[in-house]
Amino acid sequence: MAKKILIIDDEPDMVTFLCALLEDHGYVTITAADGEEGMTKIKSEKPDLISLDLLMPNKTGIKMFRELRKDDEIKDIPVVMVTGFGKDDVPSMDFKEWIQKRAIRPPEAYIEKPVNKEVLLAAIKKAIG
Amino acid sequence: MGSIPRRHFCDTAMVKDAIHLFRRFVGTLRFKLSFYVGLVVFLTVVAFTYHSISIQEEHLVSARVQGALKDSAVIKAAIWNGMMTKDREVIRQIVKAIGEQEGFKEINIYDWRGILHYTNNGSPTAVLGEHLSEQENPLLKNIDTNASVRYQFIDQGMLLNVVNPLVNTKSCSTAGCHAHPESIAVLGALEVKLRLEGLRTQILHTARETYIFAFLLFVLISTIIGLGVIFFVTRPLRRLEARANQMARGEYSPDVPRKGHDSIAALYRAFDEMSRQINERTREVEQSRKMYKELFEKVPCYISVVDKDYCIVRENEAFKLEFGDQVRKHCFEGRKGLDSKCENCQVEKTFADGLSHRSEEVWNPDSSDKEAYVIVHTSPILDEAGQVAEVMEMSLDVTRIVKLQLELAKREQEFQNLIANVPCYLTVVDRSFRIAFYNKIFAKDFGDCWGKSCFEAYKRRDSKCENCPVEKTFADGATHTSEEVWHQNGHEVYIVTYTSPITDESGEIVAVMEMCTNVTELKLLQNELAVLGETIAGMSHSVKNVLSGLEGGVYVVDSGLRSGRDDRVRLGWQMVKKNVEKVSDLVKDILYASKERQPEYQECDPATILQDLYDLYVGKARGKGIELIKNFEPSMGVGLLDPKGVHSAVSNLVSNAIQACNPATGRDCHHVIIGGRLENARLFIQVADDGIGIPENVRQNLFTKFYSTKGSKGTGLGLVVTRKIVEEHGGTIKVESTPGKGTTFFIEVPLRPTERNKALAAV
Repeated sequence: MAKKILIIDDEPDMVTFLCALLEDHGYVTITAADGEEGMTKIKSEKPDLISLDLLMPNKTGIKMFRELRKDDEIKDIPVVMVTGFGKDDVPSMDFKEWIQKRAIRPPEAYIEKPVNKEVLLAAIKKAIG
Repeated sequence: MGSIPRRHFCDTAMVKDAIHLFRRFVGTLRFKLSFYVGLVVFLTVVAFTYHSISIQEEHLVSARVQGALKDSAVIKAAIWNGMMTKDREVIRQIVKAIGEQEGFKEINIYDWRGILHYTNNGSPTAVLGEHLSEQENPLLKNIDTNASVRYQFIDQGMLLNVVNPLVNTKSCSTAGCHAHPESIAVLGALEVKLRLEGLRTQILHTARETYIFAFLLFVLISTIIGLGVIFFVTRPLRRLEARANQMARGEYSPDVPRKGHDSIAALYRAFDEMSRQINERTREVEQSRKMYKELFEKVPCYISVVDKDYCIVRENEAFKLEFGDQVRKHCFEGRKGLDSKCENCQVEKTFADGLSHRSEEVWNPDSSDKEAYVIVHTSPILDEAGQVAEVMEMSLDVTRIVKLQLELAKREQEFQNLIANVPCYLTVVDRSFRIAFYNKIFAKDFGDCWGKSCFEAYKRRDSKCENCPVEKTFADGATHTSEEVWHQNGHEVYIVTYTSPITDESGEIVAVMEMCTNVTELKLLQNELAVLGETIAGMSHSVKNVLSGLEGGVYVVDSGLRSGRDDRVRLGWQMVKKNVEKVSDLVKDILYASKERQPEYQECDPATILQDLYDLYVGKARGKGIELIKNFEPSMGVGLLDPKGVHSAVSNLVSNAIQACNPATGRDCHHVIIGGRLENARLFIQVADDGIGIPENVRQNLFTKFYSTKGSKGTGLGLVVTRKIVEEHGGTIKVESTPGKGTTFFIEVPLRPTERNKALAAV
């Protein structure tokens, strides 16, 4: 049975692209345009993996990630963080480092935009097979 | 013929020699001493003898006289007896008997008339009755009854003539025979002549013996004194003389000290002491002579002694080594290579005034390798009369030092030029911050500042600056830097100040050099570069977003085409188109921001533009829960503006304002106000929001920096473009913002009058 991946991103173009990419590689995709919708869909659809955009309206990716990791029901779902900002762009916004300092389990992978298809697929494959 | 004068000559010479020898002899000390001492003794003895003989003679004569008186008394007594007896014969016999006694020459008895009655000398008859007048017989002259003796020496002192008066007594005047009248006091005189020859002879004999003795004494004493002088004076003196000669030759050294207490021993001791001292002095003189000789030879400068003809008489080793043997050559020849004496000759001056002179000379100035800088010192050498006989010339070669000095002076000049022309303000300040030196550029910009304090000169301050690098350098001796902003002629000037310590020989900091470099140009360039860097970073980010979108779109189209899903192809193509538009917008913005362009002025009412913007954004704002509010009149008046430009500029502001009103503020409802008014031909536009506000650090470069809060949606050039449009209109843009409370942008643009307004104004 095909694995189900939830794509949470406020940019429709990104959603379209990721859907096309993941479906082409045999995954089933569902989408959410912001954090709140994302949380609802996680709980109702129980995806095998979540692709999470960091900068979003209505609950940023970080806030949502924290909630997600605290919820016992869903905290084991692997998360791939997709972010438009690398530390090269804005040094003060090094989320990777910021999250690693927190006492929560870090995301399974970080993918920086523009998304390298092979890297993303490899990361997903590593997380859920 | 010729033998006679020679002999005569010989005789003369011999005489002369003899006279010379005699004089020498007479002149000797022993002769003088013995002769004069002997003479004195001789004369003393003679004088004494003479005196003694005189006294003796007197005594002897006196004894004879007394004897004669006694005899004459005896004779008188005998005569008296004869008279009394009237026996004349008895009288004659007595006279005869007595007269035959040794020593009696004559015994004569005269009567008062001077007639000789009795004598022992021949027949008295011959003279008897011979009448001698009283006047003629000197014996009876002035004779009186006084029995005192009258005597005289006659016949050259050989005879003593004693005369006794025969006094008339009572017996005589009463005698029966022939009475002598009583009136006659003196009846006659007895004359006794005594021989003195024996006495005189004895005396003369004694005197002769005494004189002979005196002469012998004279000879003896003279001889003894002469010998004494020879033994005790002349010989020691000869020996002393010999020693003195030895000493004069420098061969004498005193041996064992001479014992004894006599004057000669003392003299010897004094002489030895003198010679010891002389030897000591001589050794000292010799030592110092050697020392000076050594000094003369070894001193590391050229010394020569020059005579009045400027010929070198002596030279020292250094001189000889450097110039070769120049003795008997002219001083100006060998070492200076001249044909005649130097113009300013120190030797000549010293010869003239007897003083030392000093000069600095250049020898062989035309030859680069022989050229020498020399300090010349001359001093006079005086002869016994105190005249300058020679001149000593000392020359010290200071070529190396002079060349170093010249080099140093040249370097110093170079450094001074360097400091004077260095393209920054250069000052030296002391511990009280007073300026002790400044360079040309400083003087040009700040004027004459001698003695002023640095803070007064540079910044017109009353007290030293905070964080003063000069103070720090004085404290720790290290170099310090400070960056400062000065205000010069109404402009901000960026200055970098370097301070470094200036130390004295002991390493103590006496002053600090302050070097102020104007880095305004550099600072502006640096800022521009920083902005450019950020702009490029921002731009790359935008481009990255666009590329990301394009890449995604291309993939989606490919995927759609591969799987035959048209919807996916359409979606993908829209993505591609949207991102192409974005690139287009970005490029337009970049071009707008970077290109110099003139606004396209048109007559228009700014209210129209603002209304269009309101209409454009009101829906979008409402969708986000933001109320867009109009704060301008429907018609504000007509002016010349670039409507498209103003539209873009304000559009960016409104778009940003809406963006700023995100939910992060925690408010339910936000407001964005678009305001505008026309006043005194100036257009004022305000866009205010109650959004998140702009942090201070972002606000600083808000209008220059490539900055976006909109992620992939903005180009980051919006405000850059806005400012550019406003400035192209000759206006200004300002921002006021409080983080968390909101932001307001103010645009002020001068409005160009329209042709109609101009016409109206003309009417």
